[in-house]
Amino acid sequence: MANDTTKNRKAILVTPEACIGCRACQVACKSWNQLPAIKTTNNGTYQNPPDLASAAFNIIQYNEVPSQENPVRWLFVSRRCMHCEDAGCMTICPSGALYRTAEGAVAYDRDKCIGCKLCVTACPFDVPRYDAENKVAKCNLCDDRITAGMQPACVKTCPTGALKYGDRDELISLAKKDGFNTIYGEKDLSGLGTIFAFKDEPKLYGMKENPTIPSSVVFWHTYLKPLSLFGLGGVVAAAAIHYLAIGPHKEKEEEV
Amino acid sequence: MAEMVRKSSVDEILNHWILAGSCILLMITGFAFLFHWEAVSSVFGGVNGMKTVHNYGGVVFSLSLLYSMRHYFKDALEYDADDVQWFKVAGGYLSHKVTVPPMGKYNPGQKLYYLAIVGAGIAIALSGFALWFMKDNASMLLLAHLVHNIAFIVFVIAVPVHVYLGTLANPGTFKLMVSGTLPLSEAKRRYPKWMKAAGKM
Ligand code: HEM
Ligand code: SF4
Ligand code: SF4
Ligand code: SF4
Repeated sequence: MANDTTKNRKAILVTPEACIGCRACQVACKSWNQLPAIKTTNNGTYQNPPDLASAAFNIIQYNEVPSQENPVRWLFVSRRCMHCEDAGCMTICPSGALYRTAEGAVAYDRDKCIGCKLCVTACPFDVPRYDAENKVAKCNLCDDRITAGMQPACVKTCPTGALKYGDRDELISLAKKDGFNTIYGEKDLSGLGTIFAFKDEPKLYGMKENPTIPSSVVFWHTYLKPLSLFGLGGVVAAAAIHYLAIGPHKEKEEEV
Repeated sequence: MAEMVRKSSVDEILNHWILAGSCILLMITGFAFLFHWEAVSSVFGGVNGMKTVHNYGGVVFSLSLLYSMRHYFKDALEYDADDVQWFKVAGGYLSHKVTVPPMGKYNPGQKLYYLAIVGAGIAIALSGFALWFMKDNASMLLLAHLVHNIAFIVFVIAVPVHVYLGTLANPGTFKLMVSGTLPLSEAKRRYPKWMKAAGKM
Protein backbone atom coordinates (compact mmCIF):
# COMPACT_ATOMS: atom_id res chain seq x y z
CA MET A 1 0.00 0.00 0.00
CA ALA A 2 3.02 2.27 -0.35
CA ASN A 3 2.18 5.80 -1.32
CA ASP A 4 4.50 7.56 -3.74
CA THR A 5 7.85 7.50 -2.05
CA THR A 6 9.71 10.76 -1.97
CA LYS A 7 13.44 10.95 -2.45
CA ASN A 8 15.15 13.23 0.05
CA ARG A 9 12.39 12.55 2.50
CA LYS A 10 12.42 14.92 5.44
CA ALA A 11 11.56 14.01 9.02
CA ILE A 12 11.31 15.26 12.57
CA LEU A 13 13.52 13.35 14.96
CA VAL A 14 12.26 13.32 18.54
CA THR A 15 14.81 12.45 21.22
CA PRO A 16 12.67 11.99 24.33
CA GLU A 17 15.75 11.62 26.55
CA ALA A 18 16.69 15.23 25.76
CA CYS A 19 13.19 16.62 26.37
CA ILE A 20 12.73 18.65 29.56
CA GLY A 21 8.96 18.91 29.22
CA CYS A 22 8.95 22.68 28.83
CA ARG A 23 6.19 22.56 26.20
CA ALA A 24 7.66 25.43 24.22
CA CYS A 25 6.85 23.29 21.16
CA GLN A 26 3.16 23.26 22.08
CA VAL A 27 3.14 27.02 22.42
CA ALA A 28 5.10 27.59 19.20
CA CYS A 29 2.73 25.38 17.24
CA LYS A 30 -0.31 27.17 18.59
CA SER A 31 1.23 30.53 17.90
CA TRP A 32 2.27 29.74 14.31
CA ASN A 33 -1.00 28.04 13.44
CA GLN A 34 -3.09 30.64 15.33
CA LEU A 35 -4.88 28.03 17.40
CA PRO A 36 -7.00 29.11 20.38
CA ALA A 37 -6.28 28.08 23.96
CA ILE A 38 -8.16 25.11 25.36
CA LYS A 39 -9.76 25.28 28.79
CA THR A 40 -8.79 22.20 30.77
CA THR A 41 -9.00 21.04 34.37
CA ASN A 42 -6.32 19.48 36.52
CA ASN A 43 -6.63 15.74 36.16
CA GLY A 44 -3.67 14.76 38.29
CA THR A 45 -0.89 15.05 35.71
CA TYR A 46 1.15 17.83 34.21
CA GLN A 47 0.13 16.68 30.77
CA ASN A 48 -1.95 19.50 29.41
CA PRO A 49 -4.04 19.53 27.29
CA PRO A 50 -4.79 15.89 28.06
CA ASP A 51 -4.87 14.79 24.42
CA LEU A 52 -4.40 16.02 20.86
CA ALA A 53 -7.21 18.36 19.82
CA SER A 54 -8.28 20.44 16.86
CA ALA A 55 -6.45 23.29 18.59
CA ALA A 56 -3.49 21.15 19.75
CA PHE A 57 -1.48 19.56 16.95
CA ASN A 58 1.25 18.41 19.31
CA ILE A 59 1.39 17.61 23.00
CA ILE A 60 4.04 16.48 25.40
CA GLN A 61 2.95 13.21 26.87
CA TYR A 62 4.01 12.92 30.52
CA ASN A 63 4.63 9.27 31.26
CA GLU A 64 5.16 8.47 34.91
CA VAL A 65 7.09 5.21 35.26
CA PRO A 66 8.44 3.77 38.53
CA SER A 67 12.16 3.02 38.58
CA GLN A 68 14.63 1.44 41.02
CA GLU A 69 16.10 4.75 42.18
CA ASN A 70 12.95 6.84 42.27
CA PRO A 71 9.27 6.26 42.93
CA VAL A 72 8.59 7.82 39.54
CA ARG A 73 10.59 8.49 36.45
CA TRP A 74 9.17 11.20 34.25
CA LEU A 75 9.39 10.35 30.58
CA PHE A 76 8.39 13.01 28.07
CA VAL A 77 7.39 12.23 24.50
CA SER A 78 6.24 14.68 21.89
CA ARG A 79 3.09 13.29 20.29
CA ARG A 80 1.88 14.51 16.91
CA CYS A 81 1.11 13.20 13.42
CA MET A 82 3.63 10.57 12.37
CA HIS A 83 3.56 11.45 8.65
CA CYS A 84 3.48 7.75 7.82
CA GLU A 85 4.75 6.49 4.48
CA ASP A 86 1.79 4.08 4.42
CA ALA A 87 -0.67 6.67 5.67
CA GLY A 88 -4.03 5.10 6.52
CA CYS A 89 -5.63 8.54 6.68
CA MET A 90 -4.62 9.38 3.10
CA THR A 91 -5.58 5.96 1.82
CA ILE A 92 -9.15 6.14 3.10
CA CYS A 93 -9.87 9.84 2.51
CA PRO A 94 -12.72 10.01 -0.06
CA SER A 95 -12.25 13.69 -0.84
CA GLY A 96 -8.53 13.85 -1.62
CA ALA A 97 -8.15 16.49 1.10
CA LEU A 98 -5.15 14.71 2.61
CA TYR A 99 -2.07 14.74 0.41
CA ARG A 100 1.65 14.08 0.42
CA THR A 101 3.99 17.05 0.27
CA ALA A 102 7.28 17.16 -1.63
CA GLU A 103 9.08 16.53 1.68
CA GLY A 104 7.05 13.38 2.30
CA ALA A 105 4.76 14.86 4.97
CA VAL A 106 0.98 14.31 5.07
CA ALA A 107 -0.70 17.71 4.80
CA TYR A 108 -4.31 18.63 4.04
CA ASP A 109 -6.47 21.01 2.10
CA ARG A 110 -9.08 22.16 4.62
CA ASP A 111 -11.52 23.36 1.94
CA LYS A 112 -11.69 19.93 0.33
CA CYS A 113 -12.38 18.04 3.57
CA ILE A 114 -15.99 16.80 3.73
CA GLY A 115 -15.80 16.00 7.42
CA CYS A 116 -16.54 12.30 6.99
CA LYS A 117 -14.15 11.43 9.85
CA LEU A 118 -12.94 8.33 8.07
CA CYS A 119 -9.29 9.37 8.41
CA VAL A 120 -9.18 8.93 12.18
CA THR A 121 -10.62 5.41 11.88
CA ALA A 122 -7.76 4.43 9.56
CA CYS A 123 -4.99 6.18 11.52
CA PRO A 124 -2.96 3.75 13.66
CA PHE A 125 -2.04 6.60 16.02
CA ASP A 126 -5.43 8.25 16.62
CA VAL A 127 -4.15 11.58 15.31
CA PRO A 128 -6.73 13.46 13.17
CA ARG A 129 -9.07 15.78 15.05
CA TYR A 130 -12.00 17.85 13.77
CA ASP A 131 -12.75 21.51 14.35
CA ALA A 132 -16.07 23.22 14.97
CA GLU A 133 -16.97 22.87 11.28
CA ASN A 134 -16.08 19.18 11.27
CA LYS A 135 -12.98 19.81 9.17
CA VAL A 136 -9.81 17.81 9.72
CA ALA A 137 -7.11 19.40 11.90
CA LYS A 138 -3.65 18.00 12.61
CA CYS A 139 0.06 18.66 12.29
CA ASN A 140 1.01 19.29 8.66
CA LEU A 141 4.75 19.42 9.37
CA CYS A 142 4.50 23.18 8.98
CA ASP A 143 4.19 22.81 5.23
CA ASP A 144 3.84 26.57 4.84
CA ARG A 145 7.05 27.28 6.76
CA ILE A 146 9.02 24.54 5.03
CA THR A 147 8.12 25.70 1.54
CA ALA A 148 9.30 29.16 2.66
CA GLY A 149 12.64 27.67 3.67
CA MET A 150 12.05 27.76 7.44
CA GLN A 151 12.11 25.03 10.07
CA PRO A 152 8.88 23.75 11.65
CA ALA A 153 7.82 26.10 14.45
CA CYS A 154 8.07 23.44 17.15
CA VAL A 155 11.60 22.45 16.08
CA LYS A 156 12.74 26.03 15.83
CA THR A 157 11.70 26.78 19.37
CA CYS A 158 12.91 23.61 21.08
CA PRO A 159 15.71 24.70 23.47
CA THR A 160 17.36 21.28 23.96
CA GLY A 161 17.50 19.70 20.55
CA ALA A 162 14.89 17.12 21.52
CA LEU A 163 13.20 18.03 18.24
CA LYS A 164 15.28 18.10 15.08
CA TYR A 165 14.18 18.56 11.49
CA GLY A 166 16.14 17.45 8.47
CA ASP A 167 16.93 14.77 5.96
CA ARG A 168 15.39 11.56 7.27
CA ASP A 169 18.29 9.25 6.49
CA GLU A 170 20.80 11.66 7.99
CA LEU A 171 18.79 12.07 11.18
CA ILE A 172 18.63 8.29 11.59
CA SER A 173 22.35 7.73 11.13
CA LEU A 174 23.18 10.63 13.45
CA ALA A 175 20.95 9.23 16.17
CA LYS A 176 22.50 5.78 15.80
CA LYS A 177 25.98 7.27 16.01
CA ASP A 178 24.96 8.94 19.26
CA GLY A 179 24.16 5.54 20.72
CA PHE A 180 20.40 5.42 20.30
CA ASN A 181 19.89 1.82 19.30
CA THR A 182 16.16 1.91 18.73
CA ILE A 183 14.74 4.30 16.16
CA TYR A 184 10.98 4.06 16.54
CA GLY A 185 9.37 4.51 13.14
CA GLU A 186 12.42 3.59 11.06
CA LYS A 187 10.57 0.69 9.43
CA ASP A 188 6.99 0.85 10.77
CA LEU A 189 4.37 1.50 8.08
CA SER A 190 7.19 1.64 5.51
CA GLY A 191 8.83 4.34 7.60
CA LEU A 192 7.39 7.20 9.63
CA GLY A 193 8.13 10.85 9.04
CA THR A 194 8.23 11.47 12.78
CA ILE A 195 10.90 9.23 14.24
CA PHE A 196 11.99 8.72 17.83
CA ALA A 197 15.46 7.93 19.19
CA PHE A 198 15.44 5.64 22.23
CA LYS A 199 17.94 3.86 24.40
CA ASP A 200 15.18 2.25 26.48
CA GLU A 201 12.26 0.21 25.25
CA PRO A 202 9.85 2.48 23.28
CA LYS A 203 7.03 0.74 25.15
CA LEU A 204 8.21 2.40 28.35
CA TYR A 205 7.42 5.75 26.76
CA GLY A 206 3.94 4.62 25.76
CA MET A 207 4.83 4.12 22.11
CA LYS A 208 2.46 1.86 20.21
CA GLU A 209 3.94 -1.53 19.33
CA ASN A 210 3.55 -2.71 15.73
CA PRO A 211 1.24 0.05 14.47
CA THR A 212 -0.95 -1.20 11.62
CA ILE A 213 -3.71 0.13 9.40
CA PRO A 214 -7.06 -1.64 10.13
CA SER A 215 -7.29 -4.80 8.05
CA SER A 216 -10.66 -3.83 6.54
CA VAL A 217 -9.05 -0.68 5.13
CA VAL A 218 -6.17 -2.67 3.67
CA PHE A 219 -8.61 -5.19 2.17
CA TRP A 220 -10.75 -2.42 0.70
CA HIS A 221 -7.76 -0.61 -0.76
CA THR A 222 -6.07 -3.71 -2.24
CA TYR A 223 -9.10 -5.58 -3.56
CA LEU A 224 -12.43 -3.75 -3.47
CA LYS A 225 -11.27 -0.49 -5.01
CA PRO A 226 -9.67 -2.05 -8.11
CA LEU A 227 -12.49 -4.60 -8.34
CA SER A 228 -15.07 -1.83 -8.69
CA LEU A 229 -13.37 -0.47 -11.80
CA PHE A 230 -12.43 -3.84 -13.31
CA GLY A 231 -15.90 -5.20 -12.51
CA LEU A 232 -17.57 -2.36 -14.39
CA GLY A 233 -15.09 -2.57 -17.27
CA GLY A 234 -15.42 -6.35 -17.43
CA VAL A 235 -19.20 -6.22 -17.65
CA VAL A 236 -19.16 -3.57 -20.36
CA ALA A 237 -16.60 -5.59 -22.34
CA ALA A 238 -18.59 -8.81 -21.87
CA ALA A 239 -21.76 -7.08 -23.09
CA ALA A 240 -19.97 -5.79 -26.19
CA ILE A 241 -18.55 -9.24 -26.96
CA HIS A 242 -21.96 -10.83 -26.42
CA TYR A 243 -23.59 -8.34 -28.74
CA LEU A 244 -21.06 -8.96 -31.50
CA ALA A 245 -20.50 -12.71 -31.09
CA ILE A 246 -24.00 -13.94 -30.23
CA GLY A 247 -26.21 -10.99 -30.91
CA PRO A 248 -29.48 -9.73 -29.49
CA HIS A 249 -32.51 -11.84 -28.81
CA LYS A 250 -34.54 -12.78 -31.91
CA GLU A 251 -38.24 -13.48 -31.87
CA LYS A 252 -39.01 -17.03 -32.96
CA GLU A 253 -42.53 -17.82 -34.07
CA GLU A 254 -42.39 -21.38 -32.75
CA GLU A 255 -41.90 -20.02 -29.23
CA VAL A 256 -45.63 -19.38 -28.95
CA MET B 1 -54.86 -0.88 -34.16
CA ALA B 2 -53.68 -4.01 -32.42
CA GLU B 3 -54.93 -4.58 -28.89
CA MET B 4 -52.39 -3.38 -26.31
CA VAL B 5 -51.54 -4.89 -22.93
CA ARG B 6 -50.15 -2.83 -20.06
CA LYS B 7 -47.10 -4.46 -18.45
CA SER B 8 -45.85 -1.55 -16.34
CA SER B 9 -48.13 0.87 -14.52
CA VAL B 10 -47.51 4.60 -14.67
CA ASP B 11 -46.28 4.81 -11.07
CA GLU B 12 -43.99 1.84 -11.74
CA ILE B 13 -42.41 3.60 -14.73
CA LEU B 14 -42.03 6.86 -12.82
CA ASN B 15 -40.46 5.14 -9.83
CA HIS B 16 -38.19 3.09 -12.06
CA TRP B 17 -36.66 6.24 -13.51
CA ILE B 18 -36.27 7.85 -10.09
CA LEU B 19 -34.55 4.69 -8.88
CA ALA B 20 -32.35 4.40 -11.96
CA GLY B 21 -31.48 8.10 -12.05
CA SER B 22 -30.57 8.31 -8.36
CA CYS B 23 -28.65 5.04 -8.55
CA ILE B 24 -26.54 6.14 -11.50
CA LEU B 25 -25.91 9.53 -9.90
CA LEU B 26 -24.80 7.74 -6.73
CA MET B 27 -22.57 5.38 -8.68
CA ILE B 28 -20.89 8.20 -10.57
CA THR B 29 -20.34 10.31 -7.46
CA GLY B 30 -19.31 7.16 -5.55
CA PHE B 31 -16.65 6.42 -8.15
CA ALA B 32 -15.54 10.03 -7.96
CA PHE B 33 -15.05 9.65 -4.17
CA LEU B 34 -13.16 6.40 -4.62
CA PHE B 35 -10.74 7.68 -7.23
CA HIS B 36 -10.78 11.43 -6.46
CA TRP B 37 -12.12 12.32 -9.92
CA GLU B 38 -11.99 16.11 -9.88
CA ALA B 39 -13.62 16.33 -13.31
CA VAL B 40 -16.77 14.94 -11.65
CA SER B 41 -16.61 16.79 -8.33
CA SER B 42 -16.11 20.11 -10.09
CA VAL B 43 -19.52 19.62 -11.75
CA PHE B 44 -21.01 19.85 -8.26
CA GLY B 45 -18.90 22.88 -7.33
CA GLY B 46 -16.31 20.83 -5.46
CA VAL B 47 -16.15 17.74 -3.35
CA ASN B 48 -18.33 19.21 -0.57
CA GLY B 49 -21.13 19.90 -3.03
CA MET B 50 -20.73 16.39 -4.39
CA LYS B 51 -21.03 15.00 -0.86
CA THR B 52 -24.34 16.83 -0.38
CA VAL B 53 -25.63 15.52 -3.71
CA HIS B 54 -24.49 11.99 -2.88
CA ASN B 55 -26.08 12.06 0.57
CA TYR B 56 -29.48 13.41 -0.52
CA GLY B 57 -29.34 11.27 -3.65
CA GLY B 58 -29.03 8.40 -1.18
CA VAL B 59 -32.25 9.46 0.51
CA VAL B 60 -34.11 9.51 -2.83
CA PHE B 61 -32.63 6.14 -3.79
CA SER B 62 -33.59 4.53 -0.46
CA LEU B 63 -37.20 5.72 -0.61
CA SER B 64 -37.51 4.72 -4.26
CA LEU B 65 -36.08 1.28 -3.53
CA LEU B 66 -38.65 0.72 -0.79
CA TYR B 67 -41.46 1.85 -3.07
CA SER B 68 -40.28 -0.49 -5.86
CA MET B 69 -40.97 -3.47 -3.63
CA ARG B 70 -44.71 -3.16 -4.24
CA HIS B 71 -44.08 -3.70 -7.94
CA TYR B 72 -41.57 -6.54 -8.02
CA PHE B 73 -41.03 -8.12 -4.63
CA LYS B 74 -43.81 -10.72 -4.69
CA ASP B 75 -42.97 -11.92 -8.21
CA ALA B 76 -39.27 -12.09 -7.34
CA LEU B 77 -39.90 -14.67 -4.63
CA GLU B 78 -41.76 -17.23 -6.79
CA TYR B 79 -39.91 -19.80 -8.88
CA ASP B 80 -41.09 -22.93 -10.72
CA ALA B 81 -39.70 -25.80 -12.84
CA ASP B 82 -39.62 -23.62 -16.00
CA ASP B 83 -37.36 -21.22 -14.13
CA VAL B 84 -34.91 -24.05 -13.43
CA GLN B 85 -35.01 -25.03 -17.10
CA TRP B 86 -34.46 -21.35 -18.02
CA PHE B 87 -31.12 -21.45 -16.22
CA LYS B 88 -30.16 -24.71 -17.97
CA VAL B 89 -30.48 -22.97 -21.34
CA ALA B 90 -28.97 -19.75 -19.93
CA GLY B 91 -32.14 -17.91 -20.84
CA GLY B 92 -31.32 -18.41 -24.51
CA TYR B 93 -28.63 -15.78 -24.28
CA LEU B 94 -25.72 -18.02 -25.19
CA SER B 95 -27.32 -19.65 -28.22
CA HIS B 96 -30.30 -18.85 -30.38
CA LYS B 97 -30.86 -22.56 -31.13
CA VAL B 98 -32.00 -23.70 -27.68
CA THR B 99 -35.66 -23.77 -26.70
CA VAL B 100 -36.42 -21.34 -23.89
CA PRO B 101 -39.25 -22.54 -21.60
CA PRO B 102 -42.43 -20.42 -21.38
CA MET B 103 -42.12 -17.51 -18.96
CA GLY B 104 -44.44 -15.52 -16.74
CA LYS B 105 -44.23 -11.77 -16.27
CA TYR B 106 -40.52 -11.95 -15.34
CA ASN B 107 -37.82 -14.50 -16.06
CA PRO B 108 -35.77 -15.87 -13.13
CA GLY B 109 -32.75 -13.79 -14.16
CA GLN B 110 -34.80 -10.63 -13.72
CA LYS B 111 -36.21 -11.89 -10.42
CA LEU B 112 -32.77 -12.68 -9.00
CA TYR B 113 -31.49 -9.35 -10.27
CA TYR B 114 -34.22 -7.62 -8.32
CA LEU B 115 -33.39 -9.54 -5.15
CA ALA B 116 -29.70 -8.65 -5.55
CA ILE B 117 -30.59 -4.97 -5.89
CA VAL B 118 -32.87 -5.10 -2.85
CA GLY B 119 -30.20 -6.89 -0.78
CA ALA B 120 -27.29 -4.74 -1.89
CA GLY B 121 -29.55 -1.66 -1.86
CA ILE B 122 -30.54 -2.14 1.76
CA ALA B 123 -26.89 -2.80 2.69
CA ILE B 124 -25.60 0.27 0.82
CA ALA B 125 -28.38 2.49 2.19
CA LEU B 126 -27.99 1.43 5.83
CA SER B 127 -24.19 1.71 5.66
CA GLY B 128 -24.55 5.04 3.86
CA PHE B 129 -26.71 6.44 6.63
CA ALA B 130 -24.22 5.11 9.18
CA LEU B 131 -21.37 6.89 7.32
CA TRP B 132 -23.46 10.01 7.36
CA PHE B 133 -24.82 10.06 10.90
CA MET B 134 -22.59 7.83 13.05
CA LYS B 135 -19.26 9.55 12.48
CA ASP B 136 -18.29 9.52 16.11
CA ASN B 137 -18.36 5.75 16.44
CA ALA B 138 -15.09 4.67 14.84
CA SER B 139 -15.73 0.92 14.70
CA MET B 140 -19.21 1.48 13.26
CA LEU B 141 -17.71 3.82 10.68
CA LEU B 142 -15.13 1.23 9.60
CA LEU B 143 -17.80 -1.47 9.29
CA ALA B 144 -20.08 0.85 7.34
CA HIS B 145 -17.22 1.81 5.04
CA LEU B 146 -16.55 -1.88 4.28
CA VAL B 147 -20.22 -2.78 3.76
CA HIS B 148 -20.82 0.29 1.60
CA ASN B 149 -17.96 -0.69 -0.68
CA ILE B 150 -18.85 -4.39 -0.90
CA ALA B 151 -22.43 -3.51 -1.84
CA PHE B 152 -21.03 -1.07 -4.39
CA ILE B 153 -19.33 -4.00 -6.18
CA VAL B 154 -22.75 -5.67 -6.58
CA PHE B 155 -24.08 -2.48 -8.15
CA VAL B 156 -21.22 -1.91 -10.60
CA ILE B 157 -21.65 -5.46 -11.90
CA ALA B 158 -25.43 -5.93 -11.77
CA VAL B 159 -26.59 -2.53 -13.03
CA PRO B 160 -24.76 -2.50 -16.39
CA VAL B 161 -25.88 -6.10 -17.08
CA HIS B 162 -29.46 -4.99 -16.44
CA VAL B 163 -29.08 -1.95 -18.70
CA TYR B 164 -27.65 -4.07 -21.52
CA LEU B 165 -30.37 -6.71 -21.25
CA GLY B 166 -33.07 -4.05 -21.10
CA THR B 167 -31.86 -2.25 -24.20
CA LEU B 168 -29.49 -3.66 -26.84
CA ALA B 169 -29.81 -7.35 -25.97
CA ASN B 170 -33.62 -7.42 -26.12
CA PRO B 171 -34.93 -5.05 -28.78
CA GLY B 172 -38.36 -3.73 -27.89
CA THR B 173 -37.96 -4.12 -24.14
CA PHE B 174 -37.01 -0.51 -23.50
CA LYS B 175 -40.45 0.81 -24.46
CA LEU B 176 -41.89 -1.11 -21.49
CA MET B 177 -40.24 1.51 -19.32
CA VAL B 178 -41.50 4.38 -21.49
CA SER B 179 -45.08 3.65 -22.46
CA GLY B 180 -45.49 0.52 -20.37
CA THR B 181 -47.58 -1.25 -22.99
CA LEU B 182 -47.01 -3.82 -25.73
CA PRO B 183 -49.22 -5.46 -28.39
CA LEU B 184 -51.23 -8.44 -27.14
CA SER B 185 -49.71 -10.74 -29.76
CA GLU B 186 -46.22 -9.90 -28.56
CA ALA B 187 -47.22 -10.34 -24.92
CA LYS B 188 -48.60 -13.79 -25.70
CA ARG B 189 -45.34 -14.77 -27.35
CA ARG B 190 -43.02 -13.40 -24.67
CA TYR B 191 -44.99 -13.89 -21.44
CA PRO B 192 -47.38 -16.82 -22.13
CA LYS B 193 -47.81 -17.85 -18.51
CA TRP B 194 -48.60 -14.29 -17.42
CA MET B 195 -51.16 -13.92 -20.23
CA LYS B 196 -52.74 -17.26 -19.29
CA ALA B 197 -53.01 -16.17 -15.66
CA ALA B 198 -54.61 -12.94 -16.84
CA GLY B 199 -57.17 -14.88 -18.88
CA LYS B 200 -56.00 -13.49 -22.21
CA MET B 201 -54.84 -16.82 -23.59
C1 HEM C 1 -26.67 2.97 -5.36
C2 HEM C 1 -26.42 3.52 -4.21
C3 HEM C 1 -25.07 4.02 -3.74
C4 HEM C 1 -23.84 3.91 -4.31
C5 HEM C 1 -23.53 3.25 -5.63
C6 HEM C 1 -22.87 4.51 -3.43
C7 HEM C 1 -21.50 4.55 -3.64
C8 HEM C 1 -20.58 5.15 -2.80
C9 HEM C 1 -19.16 5.08 -2.94
C10 HEM C 1 -18.41 4.26 -3.96
C11 HEM C 1 -18.60 5.85 -1.97
C12 HEM C 1 -17.12 6.12 -1.73
C13 HEM C 1 -16.65 5.14 -0.71
C14 HEM C 1 -15.42 5.54 -0.07
O1 HEM C 1 -14.52 6.10 -0.68
O2 HEM C 1 -15.35 5.27 1.11
C15 HEM C 1 -19.66 6.37 -1.16
C16 HEM C 1 -19.50 7.17 -0.05
C17 HEM C 1 -20.53 7.53 0.79
N1 HEM C 1 -21.87 7.22 0.65
FE1 HEM C 1 -22.68 6.15 -0.83
N2 HEM C 1 -23.53 5.02 -2.34
C18 HEM C 1 -24.87 4.73 -2.49
C19 HEM C 1 -25.88 5.02 -1.63
C20 HEM C 1 -25.72 5.76 -0.48
C21 HEM C 1 -26.78 6.05 0.42
C22 HEM C 1 -28.20 5.52 0.29
C23 HEM C 1 -26.24 6.83 1.40
C24 HEM C 1 -26.95 7.41 2.60
C25 HEM C 1 -27.68 8.45 2.53
C26 HEM C 1 -24.84 7.03 1.11
C27 HEM C 1 -23.94 7.74 1.88
C28 HEM C 1 -22.57 7.79 1.67
C29 HEM C 1 -21.66 8.48 2.51
C30 HEM C 1 -22.01 9.26 3.77
C31 HEM C 1 -20.36 8.31 1.96
C32 HEM C 1 -19.03 8.83 2.52
C33 HEM C 1 -18.62 10.05 1.79
C34 HEM C 1 -19.60 11.12 2.02
O3 HEM C 1 -19.76 11.55 3.17
O4 HEM C 1 -20.22 11.52 1.04
N3 HEM C 1 -24.55 6.36 -0.04
N4 HEM C 1 -20.86 5.94 -1.69
S1 SF4 D 1 -0.17 9.39 11.99
FE1 SF4 D 1 -2.28 9.13 11.34
S2 SF4 D 1 -2.84 11.14 10.57
FE2 SF4 D 1 -0.59 11.10 10.63
S3 SF4 D 1 0.03 10.37 8.58
FE3 SF4 D 1 -0.11 8.57 9.91
S4 SF4 D 1 -2.19 7.82 9.52
FE4 SF4 D 1 -2.15 9.92 8.83
S1 SF4 E 1 -12.57 13.91 7.43
FE1 SF4 E 1 -11.74 15.14 5.74
S2 SF4 E 1 -9.56 14.66 5.66
FE2 SF4 E 1 -10.55 13.08 6.92
S3 SF4 E 1 -11.00 11.40 5.49
FE3 SF4 E 1 -12.85 12.69 5.56
S4 SF4 E 1 -12.59 14.15 3.89
FE4 SF4 E 1 -10.57 13.24 4.25
S1 SF4 F 1 5.54 20.67 12.68
FE1 SF4 F 1 4.34 22.55 12.79
S2 SF4 F 1 2.21 21.85 12.79
FE2 SF4 F 1 3.48 20.09 13.32
S3 SF4 F 1 3.57 20.08 15.55
FE3 SF4 F 1 5.37 21.23 14.84
S4 SF4 F 1 4.70 23.35 14.86
FE4 SF4 F 1 2.84 22.10 14.94
